[in-house]
Amino acid sequence: MSPVTLGHFRAQARQALADPFLQQALAGATAHFREGRERALAELPDAEALRDHLKAIRRATLARLADHLETFERRAQDAGAVVHWALTPEEATRIVVQIAREHRVQMVVKSKSMTSEEIHLNAALQAAGIQPVETDLGEWIIQLAGESPSHIIAPAVHKTRQQVAELLSRATGQDLSPDDIPALAAAARRFLREKFLLAGMGISGANLAVAETGSIVLVTNEGNGRLVTSAPPVHVAILGIEKIVPTWADAAVWLALLARSATGQPLSVYTSILTGPARPEDVDGPKHMHIILLDNRRSTYVGTSYEEVLQCIRCGACLNVCPVYRKVGGHPYGSPYTGPIGAVISPLLFGLDQYPALPHASTLCTACVDVCPARIDLPRMLIDLRTETVEEQLIPRVDGWAERGAAWVLRHPRWYRWASRMMRWLLRPFIREGRLHLPPRWDPFAGRRLPAPAPRLFRDLWERGDV
Amino acid sequence: MDAREIILARLRAQQRDEPHPPAWRSRRHFPDLIARFGQALEEVGGEFLRVANWEGAWEALGKVLDDVGAKRVVVNPDPPLDRFDVAARWPTVEWHVVGRDGDVRSFAREADVGVSSAVAALAETGTVIVASGPAHSRLAVLLPPVHVVLLPASRVTVDLFTWVAQWRGASSPLPSSVTLITGPSKTADIEQTLATGVHGPGRLIVVLVEEGGE
Repeated sequence: MSPVTLGHFRAQARQALADPFLQQALAGATAHFREGRERALAELPDAEALRDHLKAIRRATLARLADHLETFERRAQDAGAVVHWALTPEEATRIVVQIAREHRVQMVVKSKSMTSEEIHLNAALQAAGIQPVETDLGEWIIQLAGESPSHIIAPAVHKTRQQVAELLSRATGQDLSPDDIPALAAAARRFLREKFLLAGMGISGANLAVAETGSIVLVTNEGNGRLVTSAPPVHVAILGIEKIVPTWADAAVWLALLARSATGQPLSVYTSILTGPARPEDVDGPKHMHIILLDNRRSTYVGTSYEEVLQCIRCGACLNVCPVYRKVGGHPYGSPYTGPIGAVISPLLFGLDQYPALPHASTLCTACVDVCPARIDLPRMLIDLRTETVEEQLIPRVDGWAERGAAWVLRHPRWYRWASRMMRWLLRPFIREGRLHLPPRWDPFAGRRLPAPAPRLFRDLWERGDV
Repeated sequence: MDAREIILARLRAQQRDEPHPPAWRSRRHFPDLIARFGQALEEVGGEFLRVANWEGAWEALGKVLDDVGAKRVVVNPDPPLDRFDVAARWPTVEWHVVGRDGDVRSFAREADVGVSSAVAALAETGTVIVASGPAHSRLAVLLPPVHVVLLPASRVTVDLFTWVAQWRGASSPLPSSVTLITGPSKTADIEQTLATGVHGPGRLIVVLVEEGGE
């Protein structure tokens, strides 16, 4: 993949802004999730204290992560699971392919997993002659379309019902109407049901893992997570090493905030707690369970100023409030991880040279911190990453100069005052009826009419005692 | 060094002492646990039926089977359902009793209704909790389009935190599969429009038995 440069991001963003359906879908979905989250947290007697508690759990867990991972490994093995460790995405996909070959698997069913997107698992399986079938409806739709997810929670938010009906009609060989969404979902149910029952292996992620019992926890609304981990004879779960808590008391806090922050549901419809493969006395369930712990550079950030990002529980709340994400959607980010959290972890996991634009794709408004259940200070890390892009000359020289110039002006109050006056003077010819009307070719605001600067500087009012 | 050693060595090099926070205690107080459970269940799209005793439960189940037009029903005889011969009450229906009638997989995929009890329920969120075992097939309550839960009222607890505190106190190991079910299967993946029953049961019906014993 070519790097996501500022030029690439800007071009993709312009395309997104010019797509009226996408604008409407993004506005609708993110508003729905935002309102849901607010309602769900307001209904809790103590949401703010619970968030502080989650933060403390995540921070303390990372401080002794090696111990917790070893406990998890031991308990999971006691329950009969096989635990694998992978340093790189390539190692992880190799392990999955090897397990599939050992069991002579030809087709696998998958429940939605960001970690499997991170390691490009579907491509690796296909290259090995194994057919992966996504079973989350949204993921399946984008798999059929050959695209990547545009939202952590709603991967197909950018597709219209007409596009979905076309894709599903082709896949199922039926003629499906775009106007009957329940019928589209029912067609998907029938088609994928056969896949669940025929698949030789199920692959899932894990929303979290609990060290004291060696369990993984998987949440879904559709029930595909339950089917993927119940119907096939082999279950493989892939998770990042940071997604662990020591005890069930900790896991309960995570779960109490996860769905509420993501969609506003009190809990997702299904929360599956899986502890080893089926026991001898069980009636059904997988005979074999493999758990793959993926590093992909995560361990190199523990103990650094970027450690905090490993506290993320992947709820997607930061996407829904981000003024950049809400307008451009997920695709300009060029990564499975999008929005504010993606702007920080994509460069960290895949290299800043691959994602130099992302730290700049932010207004630093801090809305993401306000809604993060773990109160992760993403803007702080975005600024650090920006600094790196300038110092390592990963962005065009002109943008680097602009950043350096801005940094210098902001450090020197006299020059800041002079620059503010200068800017107002330069903008004066473009102000009509209290709004800024820049000529289209200079206009960075994509046709939005920003308000004109106030007639007097705040600092002048302040100095004269007028405020 | 293999991946495991490298990862653990990197983490150990940065290990620091930081006190782990104590368990969060539930701050919920519901004057009527059962009423809250029913209300929360209905809010997430589940159906709530409240009956006084087991006779009432069979009557309620009979109505559901009629309503669905059930021809094939699979039942997980979780305790306390193991005390009753549920199948004998509806001789015209084809039954599969898990643990008694052999291979459940092929029966469950054609079944109209799956019946089970639940090991616990959470009032706060309207959640029922099912667990795998010799009398509980995972697929029996997952493949059919309707899941009926016959739940003794004594199993309703306040929330996730009180539930976790209860079983962490006991010493029995976790079953291989424990599932918290909060409403019927749903998706909003097509234009944010709600559709139910996409992979799991599209109807979740909880029959709460007030004098249902333990």
